[in-house]
Amino acid sequence: MTAVLQVADYSLDYELPSGALHVLQNIDFSVGAGEVLGLVGESGSGKTTLGWAIMRYLAGNAREVGGSISLQGENLLAMPQRQVESLRGGRLGMIFQDPSASLNPTLSLGEQVVEVLTRHRDLGYRDAWALGEQLLADVDLKDPAAMMKRFPHEASGGEKQRVLIATAFACRPQCLIFDEPTTALDVISSAQILQLFRRLREETGVASLYISHDLALVSRVADRVCVLNQGRIVEQNRGGRIFTAPNDAYTQRLVAAVPAADKRLLNETEAGGVPLLQVAALNVRYGQPSLLDSLLRRDRQPSMGARDMTLGMARGEILGIIGESGSGKSTLAKALTGLTPFTGAVQFDGVKIHGPAQMTRDYRRKVQIIFQHPDASLNPRQTIGQILSRPLRLYGLPAGESEAQAIARLLREVRLPENFASRYPHELSGGQKQRVAIARAFAARPELVICDEITAALDVSVQATVIELLLELRRQHGTAYLFITHDLNLIRQIAHRIAVMYRGDLLEILPAVDMAAHARHPYTRALLDAVPQPLTELEQLDDA
Amino acid sequence: MPISIGEFNMRDIFYRLLASPQGLLGSLILLLAVVLVVAGPALAPFDPEAISILARYKAPSLLHWLGTDQLGRDILSRLLIGARATISLSVLATVLAMLLGALLGTASGYLGGRIDEALMRTLDAVMSIPSLLFALLIVSTLGKSDFNAVLAITIAFVPGMARIARSVALAARRQDYVNAAIARGESAAYIVVREMLPNIVAPIIVEATIRVAFAIMLFATLSFLGLGAQPPQPEWGLMVAEARRYFFQAPWMMLMPGLAIAIIAIGFNLLGDGLRDALNPKGQRS
Amino acid sequence: MTAAYLTKRLLLVVYTLLIVSLLVFAITQLLPADAAVTLLGQSATPEALAALRARLGLDQPAWLQFGHWLMAVLHGDLGTSMRNGLPVLGSLVDALGRSLLLAGCSLLLMLLVAIPLGIVAAVRRGRPVDLIIAMLSYIGVSLPEFVTATLLILLFADVWQLLPATGYVPLSENFVEGLRHLILPTLTVSMIMVAHVSRMVRSEMIDVLETDYIRAARLKGLSRRRVLLRHALRNGLLPTITIVALDVGYLLGGIVVVEEIFNIPGIGRELLVAVAARDLPAIQGGVLILAATYCVVNFVADLAYAYLDRRIQYA
Repeated sequence: MTAVLQVADYSLDYELPSGALHVLQNIDFSVGAGEVLGLVGESGSGKTTLGWAIMRYLAGNAREVGGSISLQGENLLAMPQRQVESLRGGRLGMIFQDPSASLNPTLSLGEQVVEVLTRHRDLGYRDAWALGEQLLADVDLKDPAAMMKRFPHEASGGEKQRVLIATAFACRPQCLIFDEPTTALDVISSAQILQLFRRLREETGVASLYISHDLALVSRVADRVCVLNQGRIVEQNRGGRIFTAPNDAYTQRLVAAVPAADKRLLNETEAGGVPLLQVAALNVRYGQPSLLDSLLRRDRQPSMGARDMTLGMARGEILGIIGESGSGKSTLAKALTGLTPFTGAVQFDGVKIHGPAQMTRDYRRKVQIIFQHPDASLNPRQTIGQILSRPLRLYGLPAGESEAQAIARLLREVRLPENFASRYPHELSGGQKQRVAIARAFAARPELVICDEITAALDVSVQATVIELLLELRRQHGTAYLFITHDLNLIRQIAHRIAVMYRGDLLEILPAVDMAAHARHPYTRALLDAVPQPLTELEQLDDA
Repeated sequence: MPISIGEFNMRDIFYRLLASPQGLLGSLILLLAVVLVVAGPALAPFDPEAISILARYKAPSLLHWLGTDQLGRDILSRLLIGARATISLSVLATVLAMLLGALLGTASGYLGGRIDEALMRTLDAVMSIPSLLFALLIVSTLGKSDFNAVLAITIAFVPGMARIARSVALAARRQDYVNAAIARGESAAYIVVREMLPNIVAPIIVEATIRVAFAIMLFATLSFLGLGAQPPQPEWGLMVAEARRYFFQAPWMMLMPGLAIAIIAIGFNLLGDGLRDALNPKGQRS
Repeated sequence: MTAAYLTKRLLLVVYTLLIVSLLVFAITQLLPADAAVTLLGQSATPEALAALRARLGLDQPAWLQFGHWLMAVLHGDLGTSMRNGLPVLGSLVDALGRSLLLAGCSLLLMLLVAIPLGIVAAVRRGRPVDLIIAMLSYIGVSLPEFVTATLLILLFADVWQLLPATGYVPLSENFVEGLRHLILPTLTVSMIMVAHVSRMVRSEMIDVLETDYIRAARLKGLSRRRVLLRHALRNGLLPTITIVALDVGYLLGGIVVVEEIFNIPGIGRELLVAVAARDLPAIQGGVLILAATYCVVNFVADLAYAYLDRRIQYA
């Protein structure tokens, strides 16, 4: 099979004042017609840069050191700019990560579809518009005529991505590069997008390069997978093989870190302990009407952050909360820590709480929270030591320890060097910052730690170490976790029970082990079907 | 006060400031301004009040570097003395406005809700009166003097500074480290002073620096219109006003103070931009 | 554009004008210790003072005074000038017309120059053109109007003798002469705005050119020109409306100075004369009219922005 896209020994440097940075080194792969090649890497691996380099979109200080990139035998590096521009979006297309960010917010969807079609299909405006409507119908979008006139903010992420994919395919590409196309979408929309992608691929025989950080997903989508580590391809193989028999050390670490529902990290299946937290009929209302709206007496329907939530937790239990963005899962976290007012009854350790005002210092000590973005949750103007000292000063030092000793101990517990106490957050990596946040939470000697998507912003290998740390700390201190996430595979590894949330409603609470057997709500079932599991060698990429 | 304020210490900021052309030039002019204000009178070669009939309307020469005016007074000497009035009063007005505005804006941003909205709408309304007109109003009723001009400029600047402070405070308020502090049960005072304020200071200082330039121009304009410093004060704007009559005979009388104002204003503008770049460590655009 | 949005903006304008009039009134009429003494002098007789106080309504409680005054204003009565006894509104309206002409010309010139300059500086960022424009902007934004006016008069009227130094000729009388007399004042007023707005435009355009959707448009094969004209300009220039509207406030202040220097009988100069003569009603009227103009301009700009960018209303 002749290759449609051939990258041969390609290397790219960035010229920095401090010297040359080798971003890509000796990249070598090819993609044939109808084939999907997956490109997997963590942040800093160079995968996105490679995608852009193929599209000939280079930064001002980029230097191509050697090698070639060929499309249907033509070397793109030798091509004049004008010819490259006519290629882009036509024979060589790209689908971007965030459909909301890659569409101009002030132009209608139709306009943006038409301009691409007129550019590459040599059509007039009207014909292009008609074709656009037809494309939208082909990808099962309701009411294509109206959708064409809508603006990007009036369509959902999944809808927009479908429009973009349809448009790209309509320009008869020979090769398409997909740059994390489903990362910004919810799981169910992602599954639909991937189905659409499969169908169009089979119809057109296009060669695809699928870039992602999600190894499990890529193994299900791609025929072959390349693993990229710091600019080098360290392994290239069929998806199933990568998971079952990785050769390279980095790949092995990566594969071990990927969450899989059947790889339990927690040995217990049930938490047998006294009840710790009881939430009954919790309601959180968002959207305070503004001054003027009240004056005009306009009825601004309040959006419900959480509706009638009822759940309970035992001491030392790990309760997972799973849901997409907008499901209200973070709302529960905010309510329990007094960051948002709520109605309903919360009983914690025997004490009844009806609102933030009733949260005593003791309560606040026992219930701690860790946030998603480590950059934002540590004050950039304070040292690590200052950050860790606050809870110690608020809640008191443990007996027999000075503040400095306590800080040193906390850092040791989260496996950070003691001299980090004098550093500032910007000197630490994302994973290290998150560990500081964990240390800060544990400085209070809490009984419940709420983890609000704490690994969502981290690379998968870093995520694995953070999870391992959390489980270790739980073994030491017997802390309960309320673990909020959108990653179903992850939570199935570590939770006792899992609560499923959708649009502010708590749908059901299921045991984590054997979740599929107990799932009753159609949304839960759809979720379980949609989440990709890593491919094993025994399975083939079938047309399921 | 520790030398370090967060992500980098003073020394780093200083070096970064001087590394950029705006920062360097701005700092030099700032230095010049400081020298003028502090040592101006001492450096003046002639007595600025000394009238000399024989030396009237002299063009710039080796003896009188910037020439003389209609009363034979040395312009350079008058400029050096006048620097105090023009520069320090403008800086004073800006600093006062910055302090008041920062307090108002931060409090409003932290309190949020209806109070914040009402306060901001009112400040917007106050800003609907252009600064110069506002100053005109105040000076026309309180009387013409440089003190009243400073008062007028301060009051005119407060709403603008408050708005900037508020938007920065809101951005800081939204950060999770503030949420973490609230969840811990920290007091409001601690949160505002220890968590938010250190992150707000930098942008406000940048804004204030740029505003000083505007204050200098406004103060000079008021004096030019006869509503600020009063004769025989050698304030720069006033000097330009007095020199208008003799414009065609001795244009340097008007040009020299005018250029002085421009140079100092440019300096503060450059410094402000340089500071903004120096204080923003991630400012490198890709 | 929804009716609700429109109503909301209108209410805001009303509130703003209320606060403005309150401020104007408070500063001019309530602050002075005793306006009557100030106006008549120290040597006035007690009876004369009392009579003046009664006439000015100074013996009434403050809020009542404000109420009366506001009522009068809303009926179009801005009081009578203390200098010539004529109704303030009438004499100011003519002057306003001339000022608006100057303001309009300055605004037009500014838009025609600043926007292209800003776009060029953004597109050619870092290159010599950008640096030159930056330097000129720093200078332009740091020269007070009276300095600029001086330099321009020196150059054009004195050295080159191309244009008249000062004065005003109504366009209806002599179009060409009227225009010639307008050139220098217009240049003076617009210089600072050109410098400021061009830098803002540059900054906005740079932000837009670095967005994901611009990159996506380029990677879809659209030409550089098309991306700039159709995508970047739309989004980059939209905030310009707001920036320009805000700068109108500065423009109105600048007009005062320029009319004084160039001897143009506009509302700015009337205001200065009123200030010199301590003619309270005229001062109040002048500032009120100018502030109200500014409010209206901002209101129109808000609506224009909202119309052009439907997203704003839902924010």
